[in-house]
Amino acid sequence: MMPLTAGFVSMGRINEMANEGDSPVQIPPYLKPGDTIGISCPAGSITHEDIQPAVKKLMEWGFQVKEGSTVGKKNFTFGGTDEERKNDFQEMLDDKSIKAILCGRGGYGAIRIIDDLDFKNFSKHPKWIIGFSDITVIHSHVNRNLRVAAIHSKMCNSFPADWSKAEQVQVDSIESIRQCITGEKMNYLFTPNAANRTGMADGELVGGNLKTLETMADTKTDLVTKDKILFVEDTDEYLYSIDRMFWNLKRTGKLAHLKGLIIGGFKVKKDDAGDEFGKTIEEIVMEKVSGYTYPVCFDFPVGHQKNNMALKCGAQHKLSVHLNECRLNEIR
Amino acid sequence: MITIPPYLKKGDVIGITCPAGYMAKEKAQTCIETLQSWGFEVMVGHTLGSASTNYFSGTDDERRDELQAMLDDEHINAILFGRGGYGMGRIIDQLNFTRFKKHPKWLIGFSDITVIHCHLNSRLKIAGMHAPMAAAFNDEGYKNEFVQSLRKAITGKKARYKTAAHAFNRLGIASAELVGGNLTLLSHLCGTASELDTRKKILFLEDIGEYTYNMDRMLYQLKRSGKLDTLAGLIIGGFTDIKDTERPFGKTIYEIIREIVAPYSFPVCFGFPVSHEKENYALKVGVNYTLQVGKAGVKLSEM
Repeated sequence: MMPLTAGFVSMGRINEMANEGDSPVQIPPYLKPGDTIGISCPAGSITHEDIQPAVKKLMEWGFQVKEGSTVGKKNFTFGGTDEERKNDFQEMLDDKSIKAILCGRGGYGAIRIIDDLDFKNFSKHPKWIIGFSDITVIHSHVNRNLRVAAIHSKMCNSFPADWSKAEQVQVDSIESIRQCITGEKMNYLFTPNAANRTGMADGELVGGNLKTLETMADTKTDLVTKDKILFVEDTDEYLYSIDRMFWNLKRTGKLAHLKGLIIGGFKVKKDDAGDEFGKTIEEIVMEKVSGYTYPVCFDFPVGHQKNNMALKCGAQHKLSVHLNECRLNEIR
Repeated sequence: MITIPPYLKKGDVIGITCPAGYMAKEKAQTCIETLQSWGFEVMVGHTLGSASTNYFSGTDDERRDELQAMLDDEHINAILFGRGGYGMGRIIDQLNFTRFKKHPKWLIGFSDITVIHCHLNSRLKIAGMHAPMAAAFNDEGYKNEFVQSLRKAITGKKARYKTAAHAFNRLGIASAELVGGNLTLLSHLCGTASELDTRKKILFLEDIGEYTYNMDRMLYQLKRSGKLDTLAGLIIGGFTDIKDTERPFGKTIYEIIREIVAPYSFPVCFGFPVSHEKENYALKVGVNYTLQVGKAGVKLSEM
């Protein structure tokens, strides 16, 4: 196989290393200077002003930016009505001059429009869809039903307005989006956790927000995890609720045939007094996967936090969990 | 066909166990005394008022073993769960229903207990009792019509519930098997072996303490997993202690439900007394009922 270089943009490319039983994943063309990135809000609302740090940075990177009609729209928590959000996203999916769609923010709302979006043109001319949290809905759909890679990363609302005040991990997280969309192979080194289960695994990387994954179980956007490396993250959930969600993963068979499991950030809501759950995230996870042997690692820099590194969902990765170091490397 | 466990008669034994959250023994005292005054013997498990110091009423093993023993004990004629909370989902796959299937008995509870009701309905085809639990008997609760409805239900009286009309109701009549429970748990069970089959059934829903956006998402899950497509009827109970995000969702839970069922034609009633509040009629999950949603009010009658 030929390695795919950053400048290779002619056509979406079939990933020949996809697993048997699941069709190969198409990698959308990587972006080159002058390409256009669309900004759309399929879920929560964001103001025109609040996307400016992202617009500025994308232009610094050499891209053109097209603001979708949902930017600055507000229908309660949503970036416009269902109809408005659907239409804006549809336009961006279909517009051949747009090479990537960066979501304004997450929040809630993608599930309300996903079944009304038409991915026919997108499937023929795939492009990068960039976001996380509620955007897990779209990522899961394109992975499961269209077999197209997508980028799990920070969105417009997380681009620092003042870079001089940004922490290095924020800078690195934003920079990793550029690396992803321009075709660099992603290589992450992260800190071992004593609860990790060591081992190495090759597989397609999939995942996202745990609660969003749970609420897609038994629907047509339910994520298929067999023979894949799964990553999950979540925020503002009680430990008991996190425990229940991992039971959902287990009882829906999503943990049984993994190649590896990556646990990102979990911002835990404090137990109510008298209702102390009594287990850590590590304990909650390890008891669910004790019957399996694949590598498991904690504290990967992905989630609702400053260090939220861009991940290419659908691309082949190698996960190496050792006692002294952990790595996630994109491979081809 | 659904198997209906034998109804209780005087002298029968009701076991009390806590398969999920911790419950202090004194909080179940009124319940125990009331059940005795109804003519039943009560057998209290160790998980009630156990020595547990965390969220649960005992370790998974302790909770499972006690429930298993009560399922298997032929001298116990029904099991009343002390309380819900969270925890049934952690032990459900470890329970052995072989003997229970041969000698079914009423399992009584709601909220987290939705897990076992769904499991019974989908896997074992045995009816369960969605009803008030031990704490509902406290503060004179044992006198109210909702706790009293449990007494009637377990002794085999056919329920005929009436409730007021609601402006959002969709009129109609449906006769079908009744299933349902807590929305969060029904959503959580999607894709698992305990997932509820709602086809051609009357579904009832209630919940507590959830964010509006999250309930919207769970209702979308029910819709997208096909659970609303062929319903015979829908009963919306209480959705209490609702939380909203900083940016308001902009719709009430009843507005959300009305909107999501708009494409269908089955009868829908809102404000039915099934909830985490006092208003919580005993409902036999798996049993056939007739739901009549009329202009003047709503009737739910066991067939």
